[in-house]
Amino acid sequence: MKKIYITAALLSLFGLADALYLTIEHVTGQSVRCTIISGCSEVLSSRYAVVAGFPLAAIGAAAYFSVFSLATLAIFGYRAAGTLLTPLVTAMFFVSLWLIYLQAFVIREFCQYCLFSAAITVCLMLVVVIGRFVLKPASV
Amino acid sequence: MKRLLPFIIILVVLAVALGSAWYLTRPIQSNATPPPGQLSAATPGATLAPQPVVNQGIPGAEPAYTLGPPTAPVHIEEFGDFECPPCGIFHPILKQMEEEFGDKLHITFREFPLVPTHQHALAAASAAEAAGLQGKFWPMHDLIYDRQNAWKEQFDVRPIFEGYAKEIGIDVERYKRDVGSDLVAQRIFQDGKRAHSMGVKGTPTVFMNGREVPFESLPADKFRVVIQQELQSAAKK
Repeated sequence: MKKIYITAALLSLFGLADALYLTIEHVTGQSVRCTIISGCSEVLSSRYAVVAGFPLAAIGAAAYFSVFSLATLAIFGYRAAGTLLTPLVTAMFFVSLWLIYLQAFVIREFCQYCLFSAAITVCLMLVVVIGRFVLKPASV
Repeated sequence: MKRLLPFIIILVVLAVALGSAWYLTRPIQSNATPPPGQLSAATPGATLAPQPVVNQGIPGAEPAYTLGPPTAPVHIEEFGDFECPPCGIFHPILKQMEEEFGDKLHITFREFPLVPTHQHALAAASAAEAAGLQGKFWPMHDLIYDRQNAWKEQFDVRPIFEGYAKEIGIDVERYKRDVGSDLVAQRIFQDGKRAHSMGVKGTPTVFMNGREVPFESLPADKFRVVIQQELQSAAKK
């Protein structure tokens, strides 16, 4: 099981780096500028990029940091942390699906950094599912 | 110690994340002359020091389309994409500054259509340049920006821009010939080459007396202050 948690912790670090980058772009206003990278400015300057006054990317960074923290605690035997990992990653997975829907059908532009984040979350979901249903521990 | 280790790891990652965020968003402090709009944090409220032109780049299309006297103390050069929403937002801000500061500003517009990010950006740039060949670059420039939302989602923008050409009173048949001409394409290409030589990555990118204005300084209230500081700086020279 340790390998599952280590994989989740490492994946969440990539997600954290990506979300931090997007947050910095948002805070400095760079995300609003149009660039040769298609779609990012349209996505990151859309009204969906801010939730209750907070940049969505910052909320994502907090979520990835939470995953990292829980996975790290689980590696060191904190079973409750492993238990909390499943609902958190599941929630992130469904939020990612919603964000992909928004990009595809509402904004009609894709931002590669957002897609990378979604890919990380899908991988995290897979890791959690494997840990829970394939390796069948007491709790993941 | 082993029980504390996960918490130490978590705190280290948190510190690295927050430290990186702080480092990348902090105001730049150095002995070098700050760019327009970026005051040294060490001297709050200070005006900008006299600044040398630091980014000449290679020449763009000549003659450039400009507003204001070449002798104006503040030269503003915008690299813009007509389909870019922030450029559309910046357009009335620049118009407002032009009205407020009058002949103290010399404004140059450079084409930087983001192809293929924006499907009609090149057509819009060509339309403005073609109008420019009949001496009506700025009326077409203004019309395309003012009505950005009306054309950017359309499938075929050519008849729309031809309508604009008619509206600004130019010879539409000549416009139709010019819009696809080598001369127009060459002008846009030359502006693009200048943009690349100056490190332009996105739009709008604005240079003031040769130095890039930080993107976050482009809202009207901040941009006005940047111009005022530049004028004060020029007056001291």
